[in-house]
Amino acid sequence: MLLPLFVALLAAPAVMLAGVWRPSLAAPVGATFAALAFLATAFAWYRGGGSVDVPWAPAWDLRFSVALDGLAALYALLATGIGFLVLVYSSRYLRLHLGHEGRPESEETRFYGFMLLFMGSMVGLAVAQDLVLLFVFWDLTAVASYYLIAYDRRDPDARASALMALIVTGVTAVLLLIGALVLYAAHGTLSVPELAGRVEPGLLLDVAGLLIVVAALAKSAQVPFHFWLPRAMAAPTPVSAYLHSAAMVAAGVLLLGRVYPLVEKSQLLLDVLLVVGLLTIAVGGVLALTRDVLKQLLAYSTISQYGYVVFMYGLGGEYGAVGAAFYVIAHAFAKCALFLTAGAVSEVTGEDHLSRLGGLRKPLPLLAAASGAASAGLAALPLTIGFFKDELFFEAALERGLLFAVLAVLGAALTFAYTWRFWGGLFLGEVRDGAGGLPAALVWPIVVLGALVLLGGFFVEPFAHLAEAAGVASYGAPTPIEPAYHFDLRPVNLMALGTFVIGALLVISRPVWRKGALAVSRLGEVAGPGRLYEGGIYGLNRLSDYVHRGEVRDLRSRVAAILLPAGLLVGAGILLTPSVEAYQVGEIKTRDLPLLLALVAVAVAAVTATFTRRHVSLALVLSSAGFVLALVYAFFGAPDVALVAVLVETVVTLLLLGTSKLIPYKVLRSQAELPLGGKRWRRIFFSCVAGAFAFAVVWGALSQPAAETTVAEEHIRLASEAHAKDVVTAILADFRGLDTLGEITVVALVLLGIATLLNRGRLP
Amino acid sequence: MRDAAKTGTGAMDIMSRTIAKLLFLPTLVAAVAILVKGYAQTGDGFSAGVVASLGVVLQYLAFGRREAEKLPLVGLAGKGAFLGLLIGLLVAAVPVALGDPVFNHYPGPGYEVVYLGTLEFITPVLFDVGVFLLVFGFAVGSVRAIAHTIDREEEYRGPDADDLGEEDVAKGEQQ
Repeated sequence: MLLPLFVALLAAPAVMLAGVWRPSLAAPVGATFAALAFLATAFAWYRGGGSVDVPWAPAWDLRFSVALDGLAALYALLATGIGFLVLVYSSRYLRLHLGHEGRPESEETRFYGFMLLFMGSMVGLAVAQDLVLLFVFWDLTAVASYYLIAYDRRDPDARASALMALIVTGVTAVLLLIGALVLYAAHGTLSVPELAGRVEPGLLLDVAGLLIVVAALAKSAQVPFHFWLPRAMAAPTPVSAYLHSAAMVAAGVLLLGRVYPLVEKSQLLLDVLLVVGLLTIAVGGVLALTRDVLKQLLAYSTISQYGYVVFMYGLGGEYGAVGAAFYVIAHAFAKCALFLTAGAVSEVTGEDHLSRLGGLRKPLPLLAAASGAASAGLAALPLTIGFFKDELFFEAALERGLLFAVLAVLGAALTFAYTWRFWGGLFLGEVRDGAGGLPAALVWPIVVLGALVLLGGFFVEPFAHLAEAAGVASYGAPTPIEPAYHFDLRPVNLMALGTFVIGALLVISRPVWRKGALAVSRLGEVAGPGRLYEGGIYGLNRLSDYVHRGEVRDLRSRVAAILLPAGLLVGAGILLTPSVEAYQVGEIKTRDLPLLLALVAVAVAAVTATFTRRHVSLALVLSSAGFVLALVYAFFGAPDVALVAVLVETVVTLLLLGTSKLIPYKVLRSQAELPLGGKRWRRIFFSCVAGAFAFAVVWGALSQPAAETTVAEEHIRLASEAHAKDVVTAILADFRGLDTLGEITVVALVLLGIATLLNRGRLP
Repeated sequence: MRDAAKTGTGAMDIMSRTIAKLLFLPTLVAAVAILVKGYAQTGDGFSAGVVASLGVVLQYLAFGRREAEKLPLVGLAGKGAFLGLLIGLLVAAVPVALGDPVFNHYPGPGYEVVYLGTLEFITPVLFDVGVFLLVFGFAVGSVRAIAHTIDREEEYRGPDADDLGEEDVAKGEQQ
């Protein structure tokens, strides 16, 4: 059972290696791995699936829990199968694309590497049963998509779009994690099947479920998160095709299908899905009718199509889950084919605006036929797999009520209209010359997909079987579906007929509603959630700049930025702590005299430091205070702290020496004194606040009678069990090892930063 | 002071060079001692790393970059930092893979520990070695990077670069 996941995850590193060795090998190796992963998945599913459940971090209750159930098989087969076709297509497309931009062949490796990482993480996401494991793969898809959308990295628009996709899906992914942890806190497990048995309808489920659902909706580009998907069209076309049909956007509805056993227990969540789905169908559909750029049209159509899936999940009932699964299959074939068509057409004509294209049926007959089949599938014409997707859709809507049935027909009519617009606009109309000679690798994947769409129209059983199995995983009970052609006037057939009529009317009456649709589109640009995102990012940037400027304007304000908040926080802490007997002056014994002398020396040095203006004297005064303080630590019986203090003082002295060696002598002499500058009283105030509260804290800490067992005593007790004689080292390297690890990681990152900065932005 | 360092004839310079040379090996020995005895006596990987890097930084100050980089291992210090981080991560993560809590130490409480003098063979000591490598690598690596940059700028601006006029000073202040 682990074989499919293993092959899929191995693919990315294998392709990277092959690509480093010889760039031209990346594509064939990638396609081979995709095909192998597909076969492995199909074989494992044929053998009856299976599951693996291994604890990998038992201390944190994390399990590597995967299962190849129906839902997993459906999405894994889509990801690997469509992945294979897309990779075959890219093997030709990418070379042409790089050729246009004058980029070297070696950049291909990066593309295939991330494509297969995408595929591997999709397969992982499909089989994961543990919510945290799911989250890991979820974020992996986001990372892969970021690099793929920004593949044309010299294009600033591509980079901005990739960042937008990453932020929208990444920020909401955190909600998924929070939701998972809320469920874990309440029910003590992260496994979805176990959770399904334990959750109860109520506020907790509503909140946790909503968090997870929001993550899924953002990934599926549902309203109001839909704005990132059209922007993501900056990616090369095969990436878009894959992203829309079998990965990324599909991942969102995959998550819905996975957590459906939890979602269906809460009416609120179902209603949210229903409303969001309906809104998305409308917004995506209307906007798709207004777009002129091929890929933009398809992007909005994807948004609207996944709106159907979400809507069906929201409908609930017997047909909801299974219908949604079937819809995903049918849509994946059709949408992938249409994207690849758009890529092929742009490649051969150099044009990507619908209004400047047309009449391509003559020069490209095979492409016209294949994408015609795919379009028919999307528009749900009979004799295609699409007819059944709408049949199930209508049945699910009918089950819920007449209102929903009407809405469903209207939505399907929109699909009909924009699909016609795409295909008709490309291939019908006045025949133009100058197109032709399309490479075979750009056509055959589309032909295969078109054939699949038609095949599904005649032999729907295998696809229906897969959808049923997926429905079992989501809905919990088997819901047999029997998609077939019925030659009678049953409601579903009437609805389909109504769809075609309304759709045709929409196509014909285009001049009537065109202005209105464009107005809606303008409204979305002016006041849509995309603007909110841009405003939010802009505001955050401004805030960050403001804080940054305030903090680093000069050395003084930087020090003040640390001292003042530290003083205030400490002050708040002191004022809120009970202070009975906290501040006492103990008696002074004779043996404390050396200690006292040292402290007096420190105090004198500290006071002198505040009045010294010459840089060199200041440095000397400060370091003498530091060295004497180290002596105090030694007296106190803290040799470890004393050692570190001495070392730090030495380093600082050496740094000062080195710095003064760098500064030209003239400057050193003319700038020997600290400038007095303005705002003197503000500085004195800051220093006094910080100093006074630090003084209070130290006093309070030293006079507090240590009656109860402190952490320190616990550490001393445990030190011998940890085979340590030096408690401080044991704390640093063992008891608080995780803190130390965090600190040294920061140090390593700083080193990287220094080296990169000094090397003009490149790693040395 | 600067001119003296360049021509290498100043009396101060000879003194500091002699002292730096004399101090180098003892510093390293002290660092190793602090590291090895860390679990029994005062000191740990951090202090050892700082002591060792002080020794190297002193060589930089006294002899300049070219001479200092002839010392063994200085060139590798930056990479050593990441080796140290890797060791730290492994000590933290391997117990998780073995089914124990993160940072579990081996051998556990109650088990015998192999000693070599004061050196104990337990995983926290390994972690401490990682910390040592990281601190040493950080200090030496960053000093080295800065020294490289200074040299490159001097080559770029020519030998008279340190006679900055008053205008340059004023410009520097504005920035």
